[in-house]
Amino acid sequence: MTASAPHSPALEISCTTCGAQVVVEEDLRTAECPYCASPHVVERPPQAGRPDPVFVLAFTLDRVAATTIAQAWIKSRGPFVQSGLKQGVLERTRGVYLPSYLYGARAQASYTAKIGENYTVTVTYTTTDSKGRTVTRTRTETRTEWRDLAGRYERYETDTLVTASKGIGNAELESVEPFDLRALRRYSPDLLAGWIAEEPSLAEDECRRAAQSEMRETIERDLKAFMPGDSSANIRSDVTFSDEVAHLVLLPVWVFALRHSADKPPIRIVINGQNGRVGGRLPFSWAKIGGTVLVTLLVLAAIIAVGVLS
Amino acid sequence: MSEATCVRCESPLEAGDLRCAVCGDVPEQSGPQVVSEGLEQTVLRCGQCGAATRYDARSESLRCSFCSGELKSEELTDPVEQTEAYLPFTVDREDARAALGTWLGNMGFFRPSDLKSAARIEDLRPLWWAGWVFDAHALVSWTADSNAGAHRSAWAPHAGQADLVFDDVLISASRGLTDEEAYTLSPSYSLDGAVPDLETPPDEAILEAFDVQRSQARARITDGIRKAAAARLQDGHIPGSRYRNVHVRALLTGLDTRRMAFPAWVMAYRYEHKLFRVVISGQDAGVLMGKAPFSWAKIAMIVAAFVLVGALVVALSVLA
Repeated sequence: MTASAPHSPALEISCTTCGAQVVVEEDLRTAECPYCASPHVVERPPQAGRPDPVFVLAFTLDRVAATTIAQAWIKSRGPFVQSGLKQGVLERTRGVYLPSYLYGARAQASYTAKIGENYTVTVTYTTTDSKGRTVTRTRTETRTEWRDLAGRYERYETDTLVTASKGIGNAELESVEPFDLRALRRYSPDLLAGWIAEEPSLAEDECRRAAQSEMRETIERDLKAFMPGDSSANIRSDVTFSDEVAHLVLLPVWVFALRHSADKPPIRIVINGQNGRVGGRLPFSWAKIGGTVLVTLLVLAAIIAVGVLS
Repeated sequence: MSEATCVRCESPLEAGDLRCAVCGDVPEQSGPQVVSEGLEQTVLRCGQCGAATRYDARSESLRCSFCSGELKSEELTDPVEQTEAYLPFTVDREDARAALGTWLGNMGFFRPSDLKSAARIEDLRPLWWAGWVFDAHALVSWTADSNAGAHRSAWAPHAGQADLVFDDVLISASRGLTDEEAYTLSPSYSLDGAVPDLETPPDEAILEAFDVQRSQARARITDGIRKAAAARLQDGHIPGSRYRNVHVRALLTGLDTRRMAFPAWVMAYRYEHKLFRVVISGQDAGVLMGKAPFSWAKIAMIVAAFVLVGALVVALSVLA
């Protein structure tokens, strides 16, 4: 069970262009007038646990470009994906501003590790030479001396992104990362006009835990690179975070539904709206894989049989 | 210069900064902020036809759905760096020429004897190269191998933390000079004499522009800080006298960066159809770096002499 952010109720506003009633769905920031197609962006009053966006990363890929990338990606999948997928139809293409938190913190770690320092020794050994005589020879061997090391480590960790939406999880977000954060803009409703923008639907606490575990992984990876010596082992670290900052940022993603058969649900494909990175995987067909393995085995058996008989 | 400071790490913030370059914190928006009461609805209108407008990805700007009229929404947030201050030339053309002559005359035995008289200066140009100068306070965490406390291996691991203060550290932003050339010239400059504007540029001096964007600039500066910290640590912080694998992580506070132009004379001289380049500091003619030819005849002679002596020694020992 996931914790939720405070609910954003559906709203009814009147279109300022034609006067018609427009419904802004729950947990969305944007809507389009059904009569005159005028885009609307609403600003709900701020609530505890549901902050306003601070930054927007604008779309640089338009619908046509994103669709082309998605189609090329589907075509380029290997031969083992389920049949029918490559002939599937892309439906419900949507450009979504995905709410996510941009995290930063001061990371402090104390660590202990075993550091391997290499040295060489000259070893004397006896062997028999080509004429069968016993001779004594020497060779140099590299050995490792293990030393204990303990220390502290401190730095700012910035630019960790975690999803704030129940719709797209962290794994899916990571599959289309990285985003180029140099293009961040301060949030302005102008940038959302005509697109779908979600309100955060995950509670801040849960996002914070996800961000911390992602940051911890980054720090642990960096600690490995930080170690001296020729090798290192048993790195144990205790990482704490202080001075945390979190800012809500809206990330541009294109979401496609790939419908490939009438009785199966469509497969979702997500594309980075900034650089076109495609996330997701098309399911494999076990029948195809099994068939190929079987055919390969049969061919091998035939070759062996022919070889034995002749 | 900068006006605001990051509340978290005390680094000065610059105009156009959305986030602090050091710690990623977001400065409070300056200017009066409108606090919205209740529901606020935003509709964007096209300046041409009055229809509602939408954000278009291809042009990265606001585009009207009906008449394609465009509206500019915001400037790009990654500006190109600009030079803030210049250091004046104190070495003139004649000084630079004389410095080259002295240098060519003192190159040592293995250079051609006629190097000074036969070298022809082809080109002698004044220019300002671009660089950053920073001040910062850093809590540096480090690890390294050194010879102190070594047992069987020649190396033993060490780790520690140090508070370091950096004042006026110069990092090259130049594409024209190599990092090595910039590093050699760096100590010759006196930063106190920096002026915000060019007063009397020497004959057709070229100003090298900063051609990196701010975000890339910060990556280079961070890299420079790591190198500066690693160099400083080997001066008393890491035990021992020989080091390897010096790893540094810095927690910066109060990082202040200035963009400056540094004067230098760049000259090319020709010796026997080949061109060689020399760079001379524009503030101290004694600081220069360049390449010069070797005399292969002299080197071959010495090698031959050594071989002869060696052969003689062998012959004598065989005979004895």
